Amino acid sequence: MASHEKLSQLSINNDARAMIARAREEGIETVWDRLAAQQPQCGYCAMGVSCRNCSMGPCRVDPFGDGPQKGVCGADADIIVARNLGRTIAAGASAHSDHGRDILEVFAELAKGETSGYELRDETKLRSLAEERGIDPTGRRPNEVASDLAEAMMEEFGTAKGHLSFSDRAPDKRTKLWKTLGIDPRGIDRENVEMLHRTHMGVDNDYVNTLLHGLRTSLSDGWGGSMVATELSDVMFGTPQPVASRVNLGALKADYVNIALHGHNPLLSDVIMQAAEDEELVARARELGAKGINLVGLCCTGNELQMRKGLPMAGNHLMQELVLLTGALDAMVVDYQCIMPSVTDVAKCFHTEVISTADKAKFTGATHISFDPRRGYEIGKEIVSHGVEAYANRNPERVRIPGDTVEMMAGFSVEAILGALGGTPEPLVEAIKAGKIRGAVGVVGCNNPKISQDHGHVTLTRRLIENDILVLVTGCSAVANGKAGQMMPEAAEMAGPGLKEVCKALGIPPVLHMGSCVDNTRILTLAAALANYLGTDISQLPLAGAAPEWYSEKAVSIGAYVVASGIYTVLGVQPAIFGSPNVVNLLAAGLEDVVGAKFAIEADPEKAAVMIRRHIESKRAALGLPHLETKDVEAPSEAA
Amino acid sequence: MKTVFVNPERCIGCRQCEFACAVAHSRSHDAATAPFETPRPHSRIHVGTGTTYNTSFPNKCRHCDPAPCVEVCPTSSMHRDRERDVVLADGHKCIACAMCAMVCPFDVITFHSAANGAPPRVVATKCDGCVERVSSGEIPACVEACKAGALVFGDLNELIAAGCARESSAMLTSATAVSLATREPDGVAGWRAWGASATHVNEEVRHGKP
Repeated sequence: MASHEKLSQLSINNDARAMIARAREEGIETVWDRLAAQQPQCGYCAMGVSCRNCSMGPCRVDPFGDGPQKGVCGADADIIVARNLGRTIAAGASAHSDHGRDILEVFAELAKGETSGYELRDETKLRSLAEERGIDPTGRRPNEVASDLAEAMMEEFGTAKGHLSFSDRAPDKRTKLWKTLGIDPRGIDRENVEMLHRTHMGVDNDYVNTLLHGLRTSLSDGWGGSMVATELSDVMFGTPQPVASRVNLGALKADYVNIALHGHNPLLSDVIMQAAEDEELVARARELGAKGINLVGLCCTGNELQMRKGLPMAGNHLMQELVLLTGALDAMVVDYQCIMPSVTDVAKCFHTEVISTADKAKFTGATHISFDPRRGYEIGKEIVSHGVEAYANRNPERVRIPGDTVEMMAGFSVEAILGALGGTPEPLVEAIKAGKIRGAVGVVGCNNPKISQDHGHVTLTRRLIENDILVLVTGCSAVANGKAGQMMPEAAEMAGPGLKEVCKALGIPPVLHMGSCVDNTRILTLAAALANYLGTDISQLPLAGAAPEWYSEKAVSIGAYVVASGIYTVLGVQPAIFGSPNVVNLLAAGLEDVVGAKFAIEADPEKAAVMIRRHIESKRAALGLPHLETKDVEAPSEAA
Repeated sequence: MKTVFVNPERCIGCRQCEFACAVAHSRSHDAATAPFETPRPHSRIHVGTGTTYNTSFPNKCRHCDPAPCVEVCPTSSMHRDRERDVVLADGHKCIACAMCAMVCPFDVITFHSAANGAPPRVVATKCDGCVERVSSGEIPACVEACKAGALVFGDLNELIAAGCARESSAMLTSATAVSLATREPDGVAGWRAWGASATHVNEEVRHGKP
């Protein structure tokens, strides 16, 4: 607590610790200083019982029961918590879906031949997506098919269609359940707008009804906006295939121009990767004394490029200030989401130029170069050129790059996983049936400075693979596990005997990188494919989700769509719901009877691992597969 | 003797007492304009953190008697108002030597330019028991702002007696329930349990796990 925490408590990573130490030495403020300065944080807000939706308020409900129990309008703790959670989900879903729309708009322009720097790289996927929507691609040129597909997808953002085609990927049992509950997503933007409407004063005053719409809102993200982002990114930039890469701050090279690509959207960063190979720019870098141009990834923009091109990753969410502290970064190119406003402040302590590129995401203190897909390649060159010129201002005496990189493997799209299995889920299903693999868990989500950086991701993942559970990772979790050396085929040695055998036979790591945070939809698609193969529902499979270090509104939307899709999910950080025991009971227990899955909250990854293992064994038992009894899945205190 | 009493288990760290205190000690006494006054008004109550996430304590002058700050003040700026039984700082006499702050057992005396009536220089600033508000029949601003019952205003012995009764009841209910005098509602207990767990996990990492 407070401002005197030991470095070892803030992060499990040596590269992070070294840079936090430097920040302290040089008096440069970082996220951990600001968290300490914010203590104590408001309990009304943290428990979700403060409401500022109208100007009769702001109001708060006393969680101890003696003070006010209703807002001015009469809303009690249940209504206020549900309203707040609903708006959080809508904000997260909106972020993902707006990202999806941006990809879709460029895709539509590409189809018309109006872009520069883009192509339809995966025509097979283009055709299968078209067929999925009833568009016959036979005998037509790819851009014509793309044009029809773009139009069909655009309709799903509004209300014209009233149904999301991607949701048909879910098993019939699941889509029927959604319809019965009235949570079948109808339009990608519609559900978000309706949530804002419902949480306006005097609209939806039944917390259960509000929360059910919260699930529907999240489904419009998972089986809608995010899935559009993933699938069209694959068509335009290539469907990921297993690729070798590297990770940590050592990805920066002292004698190269270093440019970090940070944010979430691959639209511009893909073009920048092309531009960084431009001969003129490389020659200019050499003229300035650099050996060349080195690109590194941060957060999910980095993940998108690592998945498809093996781009080395400098780090995840909590590394974004620390990468600047190396003094070796010449430019940080940002698009949107999770980019701390503080990056421009830290950059001012060095020569680094922060370049914002999205008109909807500007940063005071940054250079803004507006992204335009019609001049994509040209803009990519302009941005790289800024990085190259900034290199001339670098002070070599201030360069400190900690440590060497760790090798990791990325690129496990659903197509790549099925490819590794020989084109069918059968070998995976057989391994699960035989108990070699007990089940699969998506360990996803962010970093949060309230949890030692990466401790939650790495510890939970390790315990799961040790117990023969295949782990699928995205976002910050992929970087964390990569740094821990858990994402190389050799990491099979860390796994339990069954998982180890399967990994070795297929030459894959026990922890599979499935992409950025919109790519959690790949996990949905895989889960649906397994359920469909077995003729069952997702909720009956031995699966679970976990977000050990989540922080963002997007993560709440992800958690909600994963649970609404039938997958038990353990959160490492508590959402703002504790002011309403009714909402807590609904999310942590009651939902099981509604959607066949529920949430759990557990800060300790050792305990979360036990909870997840017990859940997976219980699902195995229900399927009649060989299983362990709950008492035989040891709690950490019982373990040696 | 009426005083501001703290129920630490009730504090949820919202810091609304700090804001209300600063407004009460501004020139305008208006929450909308007070933050923009020069000199800026300052709170005399300070919400600090506990040893785990999601715990906090509103720290303020306890108006000690005898008060160490009064004992050491070389100019008699720091004095006891016997009539109202509070320790007050007279800005006109204060020489900002900070002796009072050095001996204060609670570290709640700070130094600022004061807003209302004091000389335009940095002087000792501390809780004045909201003497003006109390004399006009109001309760102290921090207590008024606290909706969680962490700050209460009343006769000291009566408040202690009420706490004592709760404590006795809790002790009788369970001999092990000594950590908090009153049982928290489930929601607050769950919220705090996560804080304790997250803090514990981070401590473990600090001590070499994994």
